[in-house]
Amino acid sequence: MKLQINGKSTFVSTGGRDFEPDGDVLLFLHGSGQSHLSFLLQGRFLANRGFQVLVPDMPGHGLSKGAALTSIEEMADWCATVILAAGVEGPVNIIGHSQGGLVAMEMARRHPAMVKRAVFIATALSIPVNDMLLDLAKNKEPKAIDAMMDWGHGPVGHMHDHTMPGHSHLAYGRQLMAANETGALFTDLSACAAYSDGPVAAALVTCPSLCILADMDKMTPIKAGRKLVQTLPMAEVVELSNAGHMLTTERPFEVNQALRKFLAK
Amino acid sequence: MSGNFKFDTLALHAGHSPDERHGSRAVPIHQTTSYVFQSTEHAAALFNMEVGGHIYSRLTNPTVAVLEQRLAALDGGVAAVATASGMSALFITVLALCSAGDHIVSSSQMYGANINLFEHTLSRYGITTTFVAPNDPAAIKAAIQPNTKLVFGEVIGNPGMDIMDIRAVGKISAQAGIPLVIDATFNTPWMIQPLKHGANIVIHSLTKWMGGHGAALGGAVIDGGNFDWGQNDKFPMLTTAHFGYQGVNLWEEYGPGAFAARVRTEGMMNVGPCLAPMNAFLILQGIETLGLRMEKHMSNTAKLLDFLSGHEQVAWVKHPSLPDHPDHKVAVELMPKGQGSIIAIGVKGGREAGRAFIENVQLASHLANVGDAKTLVIHPGSTTHSHLTPEAMQAAGLTEDLVRVSVGLENIDDIIADFKAALRIAGKVAGTKS
Repeated sequence: MKLQINGKSTFVSTGGRDFEPDGDVLLFLHGSGQSHLSFLLQGRFLANRGFQVLVPDMPGHGLSKGAALTSIEEMADWCATVILAAGVEGPVNIIGHSQGGLVAMEMARRHPAMVKRAVFIATALSIPVNDMLLDLAKNKEPKAIDAMMDWGHGPVGHMHDHTMPGHSHLAYGRQLMAANETGALFTDLSACAAYSDGPVAAALVTCPSLCILADMDKMTPIKAGRKLVQTLPMAEVVELSNAGHMLTTERPFEVNQALRKFLAK
Repeated sequence: MSGNFKFDTLALHAGHSPDERHGSRAVPIHQTTSYVFQSTEHAAALFNMEVGGHIYSRLTNPTVAVLEQRLAALDGGVAAVATASGMSALFITVLALCSAGDHIVSSSQMYGANINLFEHTLSRYGITTTFVAPNDPAAIKAAIQPNTKLVFGEVIGNPGMDIMDIRAVGKISAQAGIPLVIDATFNTPWMIQPLKHGANIVIHSLTKWMGGHGAALGGAVIDGGNFDWGQNDKFPMLTTAHFGYQGVNLWEEYGPGAFAARVRTEGMMNVGPCLAPMNAFLILQGIETLGLRMEKHMSNTAKLLDFLSGHEQVAWVKHPSLPDHPDHKVAVELMPKGQGSIIAIGVKGGREAGRAFIENVQLASHLANVGDAKTLVIHPGSTTHSHLTPEAMQAAGLTEDLVRVSVGLENIDDIIADFKAALRIAGKVAGTKS
């Protein structure tokens, strides 16, 4: 569906089902340079299992208009606006991947009444970005995308062994990222690099939370994910083996199983 | 992983991980029509495209999926759909993009069945085609109409070997808001990956160089994922509610993979040109050595060209690598590793001399295929086009003396010896040899 957020047309996938704001709402938040499509194998699956699904494209990403948001805090406030614009009154389950996990933390800190449960997929207390990647994102975006797709995938992705018959993880990811507004990736990565409040924000996430981590994650290494688990007051953890940072597409069955188990509680 | 794998590695491995239960290193042949569901919920999820997996082999099959994923990896596409033949790949591509009243701009110099499909079959269903010279981008641009839904051509035309500059044509189609669909059968991704040069969709006949051994028919559609289907209202099949799958909007829900999803959920579902698992296996075996074979095809072609270009019984030689080919410059720019292993020659003495050459080669096989590991020859004037007048053949881009050679992988000395002997006999028939 399309919503007007801060005067800009915003695309929000509902997993192919009509959205009922009174239901048990899942708000998925994508990572740097990604879009709602990074939850291709979660949104539709959970929308057909009784959940009300919102998977927005952040401004400048996917099918949403507007300039990319420049800080994690601004993204958290934008998400709160999305929830209200969708007509949701009660608290929602926030599920963030990578940068989306930082936004979820900040949501829980800034808008605690809106957060029922939080899931952090391939996230850490901070996501430092090396200068080389930032420089590429600013000046040679296609090369930055290539690098992120390389580092972001584990053996399954690099072997093009997809659960969706005929698909390529790497090429799909590249085209997904290339479809965003030019500069959105640099803005996202800059926002991640600048965000240092993770330890404080995570300690204030008082709702039940789940961390889903991948053992071959090069972008948010599992050691960093475990520190997040230790900092969150009420965290469970699921660690997936033989998976990289893009575990939502590399290991969709396991991610969905972990989500269903946690959300059923 | 230490980085993105290179072409030869992908040709051997992409799309397949040894199965955990048996550890089979080779890709298993899943000779089955259907797949046992884990539960009713699992079945419903598969039918509703919520999860990946297999339902029925008309739609997907594990062996075929490995081939599809390998093809997507080699061409740089987001997804591939394998089909029973190259022709069915083309047909279901058009099916996904065009309806009655729509229009196609197509190369005029290409494989005869492609032309027949557009000119004689699709026209009966209200889809019209304007045929334009593939090496004339300005004419292609001028032929695009408001109802044009795609531009189609071959990088290397069959059999005339005209070259379409897909960089220029890709810009033209992009400006018009329509995709460039390329039949890449004659080049394979080893020579050029058209998606990196302006194409949006690639079609292969896998029967040719990809399989490479003349043992299995097959085709494929590769979705580049690099076309914005939502930029205009020309493609409602992708950007509005699907007739099935709870009315899914493929562009919104599948993004770069929307076109492949439509091909799968309409072309394969409603028409059903599925690839047999055994054929997928045979083609995979061929692809494992694609790089090695293509190198040898190119080197043998270069040596045979040297021989033919200086032969007294050969009136003319046509190949994109030769400086006198009208598209030589573009061909070398697009395909620096080699410009294909099809050679067209004119045998002095016209139709009868051509026939004599064909009937007297011993090593080369006289048949209607290309891209085999074995050297193949055909003389259209005495076979496929024997019913045509010289004038009609000329209009089709052919001449009476034309012999098409698909250069194989035999020792080049043996190929040359075979051709030398057959040309000598052709010369006697033509009266140029005593």
